[in-house]
Amino acid sequence: MLHQFNYLAPRTRAELHGVLAAEGPAASLLAGGTDLLVNIRAGLIKPRLVVDAKQVDGFSGISWSEREGLVIRAAATINQVLRDARTAIDFPLLVACARDLASHQVRNRATVIGNVVNASPCSDMAPALLCLKARAAISSKRGEREVPFSAFFKGVKETVVAPDEVVERIVVPAASKGARGGYHKLKRINGHDLGVVGVALCVDREGEMRVAVGSCAPTPILVEGLDAAAPADAVVAAVMRAISPISDVRATKEYRAHMVEQFVRRLVDEVRS
Amino acid sequence: MKISVTINGALYEREAPENVTLLRFLREYVGLTGTKEGCGGGECGACTVLLDGRAVNACLILAAEVDGASLRTIEGEAQDGEPSDLQKAFARRHAVQCGYCTPGMVMSARALIERNPKPSVDEIKEGLEGNFCRCTGYVQIIEAVLEATGQPATIQEGSHV
Repeated sequence: MLHQFNYLAPRTRAELHGVLAAEGPAASLLAGGTDLLVNIRAGLIKPRLVVDAKQVDGFSGISWSEREGLVIRAAATINQVLRDARTAIDFPLLVACARDLASHQVRNRATVIGNVVNASPCSDMAPALLCLKARAAISSKRGEREVPFSAFFKGVKETVVAPDEVVERIVVPAASKGARGGYHKLKRINGHDLGVVGVALCVDREGEMRVAVGSCAPTPILVEGLDAAAPADAVVAAVMRAISPISDVRATKEYRAHMVEQFVRRLVDEVRS
Repeated sequence: MKISVTINGALYEREAPENVTLLRFLREYVGLTGTKEGCGGGECGACTVLLDGRAVNACLILAAEVDGASLRTIEGEAQDGEPSDLQKAFARRHAVQCGYCTPGMVMSARALIERNPKPSVDEIKEGLEGNFCRCTGYVQIIEAVLEATGQPATIQEGSHV
């Protein structure tokens, strides 16, 4: 039995912004629900109102424009990104991370934006979005702003998004189109699982290498400005300086650090082969 | 609130609280108890149903969210008391032991073969990755899906499932 709450599905941005401004922290935004309903069921969140963002006009799907880049809207699911032929060619790292996220059923509901607004250190989409220099387009009754993902996460399950705000879109800039790279995720089992560590690496068309690491700090970590031709040892050293893994139920900090190093070396080899 | 939903081709209208999951709605408000609750948290897939043709965990969806949608559940597989070819393949290949995961497993397999009529073993594994079976060890289930899609239904001895 779930905690008692009311449900509302606004149809317009104005209506959504009005509800969030009026309800503040008493309202929980619902998109895929694959984290929210688990948290409500566990008693971790007790919203008075659940606000379904999926029916808001203009919040569905993904689109591409040369000017802006790839736009992923609030209701776009992981599988929509995963199965988009253009995204697979232009942003292979996004697809690599999406493929490793949870199970088929969860990917059919879970949204890309939900995966980052929950700000879990083990988010699978955050490493791709950090590497690809994506931005979150955040709006509220007060106005709109864009925040790069490098400044989006504030701590474990904490972001810059205020209770009256909603992340409407993610913009992956056109400049990141064609960035090569991959994602390695260590899990406890071969099937679907939360990551013990996750490492994404890309080299963009300008020759800049960037590495993002999940589950090795309170937030997903980005290491940017690396030379695509830098020796693997130098890349490893830069990444190790940036992370601060802890020991917990899933792994020790030593194992995490060891596997991050292995994954960075593999990814450097792969991107150069 | 009033929720109207088409399930296996029939329209159901029920009054239900706004905090009721789709799983509970199906079982307790519509009376379709073929869909099972395992973990209740999106891990095990026992509650898999098809929502507008896509496999989803009914425990992670509110009934309110599917108002106006079209669902298929395990009760829609058999026609006039005759099991579907997929169900028959599960039975023939001994893909059922305790049977608790079977409705979810069949619905995930259904979604898979509708978008991919001849899935490879790897594609079957991916399509069924969200469904746990604690009895069979999965080999017979994969063989059942191979058989149901008209493919040689033997997995190589010793191959990792």
